[in-house]
Amino acid sequence: MNAPRRFPGSVYRDGDEPDPRFSLANERTFLAWLRTALALYAGAFALEALALPEALGWRAAAAGVFVVLGTVASLQAWWGWAATERSLRRGTPLPGLGAGAIIVAGVIIAAALVTIGLFA
Amino acid sequence: MSAPPAGSSPPAPPPGPPGPPPGGPPGRPRRPGDAPFDPGLQVERTLLAWRRTCLSFAAAGLVAARFTAPALGVAAVVAGLAVAGCAILAYVATAHGYAREHRGLVEEDGLARSGVPMLVATGAVLLLGALCASYLVAGILRA
Repeated sequence: MNAPRRFPGSVYRDGDEPDPRFSLANERTFLAWLRTALALYAGAFALEALALPEALGWRAAAAGVFVVLGTVASLQAWWGWAATERSLRRGTPLPGLGAGAIIVAGVIIAAALVTIGLFA
Repeated sequence: MSAPPAGSSPPAPPPGPPGPPPGGPPGRPRRPGDAPFDPGLQVERTLLAWRRTCLSFAAAGLVAARFTAPALGVAAVVAGLAVAGCAILAYVATAHGYAREHRGLVEEDGLARSGVPMLVATGAVLLLGALCASYLVAGILRA
């Protein structure tokens, strides 16, 4: 490998080239997170577009939670990819999945807000 | 990944009527680039993951345009088509990237990927998220 420079340098600066299959699996995980982010944004959009629930306060709160979660998922896609690739190159343990806990808690909260809003 | 035990030779093809030679149509010599790099098809699966991401992105843009068209008019249609156009460009780019990676892996056994496409994709999704947030804010202000 004599590729001169690969972006980002913080990932590729040191360590050894891992098994290409691991890098590709890491890339697919990145893409899965990105699609998750799109789905969460779509959820926020759908609540507003379909006026569900009709009570504005609950709807705005639930949609806001979904927007925040979509942003968390986007950032997790990028930072998670970079951190995992760095670990693969250095042979260190892979990073954990703290963002997963945020997404789970957030989806539960948003579902609760929608449910309350429907019957409030 | 299970590997065959060392020293064992690949199983002989079963006897039978002579069919086309493995690995391609007759008359065409088999080149190294014809076979996938990985029996688990990791490169191909990654290409498919990019494709469904492009599809999701285009669908998100077009559905958003459909729902905002009554309020925004032509601007919504143009924006939706622009998002779909970006998705098509990305689709074509990933196809080229796949061909390049496949060749690189089969011939030199190395991956030449960088984080640029991923950073661009992340930025595009964050941009869609910002548009989604402004749609929500506009809805609250209208009410």
